[in-house]
Formats: sequence, C-alpha cells, structure tokens
Amino acid sequence: MTIDELIRHVQPSSSVLALQARDKQTVLTEITDALVERGHVKDRDVVLQMLRNREQLGSTAVGAGVAFPHGRSLAVQKLTILVARSAQGVDFGGLDGKPTRLFFVLMAPPQDSGNLYLQALGKLTELVARDDVRRALLQTADLDALVGILRGAGK
Amino acid sequence: MSQERETQLLVALQDLEQMIREAEDKRNREALEKMGFPVTGVEELRKAQKKLEDKIAPQVLGRYRKLTTRSGRAVVPVVDGTCTGCFTNVPAIFTSSVNAGKVIYCETCGRVLFWP
Repeated sequence: MTIDELIRHVQPSSSVLALQARDKQTVLTEITDALVERGHVKDRDVVLQMLRNREQLGSTAVGAGVAFPHGRSLAVQKLTILVARSAQGVDFGGLDGKPTRLFFVLMAPPQDSGNLYLQALGKLTELVARDDVRRALLQTADLDALVGILRGAGK
Repeated sequence: MSQERETQLLVALQDLEQMIREAEDKRNREALEKMGFPVTGVEELRKAQKKLEDKIAPQVLGRYRKLTTRSGRAVVPVVDGTCTGCFTNVPAIFTSSVNAGKVIYCETCGRVLFWP
C-alpha cells in the first residue's frame, strides 16, 4: 500500500487532536463518538464493543506513546482511519509503561478485499516506529500538517 | 440505539467470533505480532463470547448458528437496498420493521439483515 492510498482512508473530520479522556475506556468512547457524530458509523454500541474486545485480546499500545486501536465490524462500511492525540497521555497498557499520546484508529468491514486493513496497519506502524516522525506528529498543530508529515515520511 | 437490540447483539457476536478466528489463525497472528501487537487474550474473548450468547434469546441464537454453518455469515449488511448475502432487493417496508424493533431475515436467503 502506498502512502497516498493510506491517506485516502484517513477521516479528517473525525480526528480528535485534543482528547479529553483520561483513561483507556474513555478514549475508546470519545473516539467512537467522534466517528458517530461525523457520520462515519451509525452503530455506536457495536463499534465500541468491538474496540473494547480488541483491547481484551491484547493492548494495541505498541509503546513509545503510540497505540493503534483496530478491528473489523459489520457496522463499518469501508476502511476508516482516525487520528487522535492526548496532550497529557493515557495509560493504554503499553509494554513500556509510558502514557499513550498518539492514537491511530483503524476499522474495516469484515470482508475487506485485498486485506487493506492489515496493509494499512503495517504501513502506519512502520512509519510511526521512526522517532523523528513520532515527534513531529505529536508537535504539529493541525491535521493537515499531520497528514503532510505522514505523506513525507512515507515517500 | 440505532437498531433493534437483538440484531446489535448478533452483529457484536459475529464481529467477536471473527476476531477470535483471526487471532487463532497462525498467519494473521504472526502478522499482528510482527507489528508489535501481542495476541494473548483469546480466552478472555471466549468468555466475552459466552456472555454475549447468554444475552440472546435461544431461538434467535439457534437460527444464527444454523445460518453461520450454512452460509458462513449469518448477519449481512443491507447496502443500497440490497441484501449483500444473496444480492436481492430488500423491500423498503423492512426498514420500518427494524425501527419497530424486530430482527429482520432476508426473504430469499434467510440471513439476518443489518443496516450499517
């Protein structure tokens, strides 16, 4: 998957650059509410339950202040990516014990031709593993700039 | 809630069962672990599955199980007025039935219909 293909699935209107949540469950609720409010999903309860179940399978926090809540649900019609940030950081269960400040949420329908969802997840984890990219993503002021950083890092 | 609760429970159950299948699939699990996601909580998901099943009426759950065995996917989305299980049109009146709180089955293939 190219970076441009990946960015096509990012939902700017649902992204939350200043999460208010202070704990893991509330982060998931705030993210889901943003997707519902902006019309990307209709069924809040189903999506929230899927994200919570996914965290039970194992934390999606990969350390270094980043998490990738993700999963498939029938309540999602196409691959949808949302970006969220928390200024204070949240305990999201990362193995390094550091608070999570940057969230990439990926959701896909159950039948996802070409397994785009795993490809997108792989591409994002690869980009965000870079210290310079992570730092820039945390410091940038708005979503356009954030997407620009991802695009630049993926070229 | 946007749709009838029992349909939501069936969707949640189907989502969860897919998550369990993917977690148990060696290739998929290895791909996730390689990206840095530990896949350790399958037993927790099994418990969640049981809890979810207990909330669904036995006859509805029984039909869901039969459909899953027969068709692979018991619940399918309705997209542009079409059942995506068998690609036949779903009568518009069904939408009002959903709003009236009923689990709706496709008249042609028998799958549970969900409006995403």
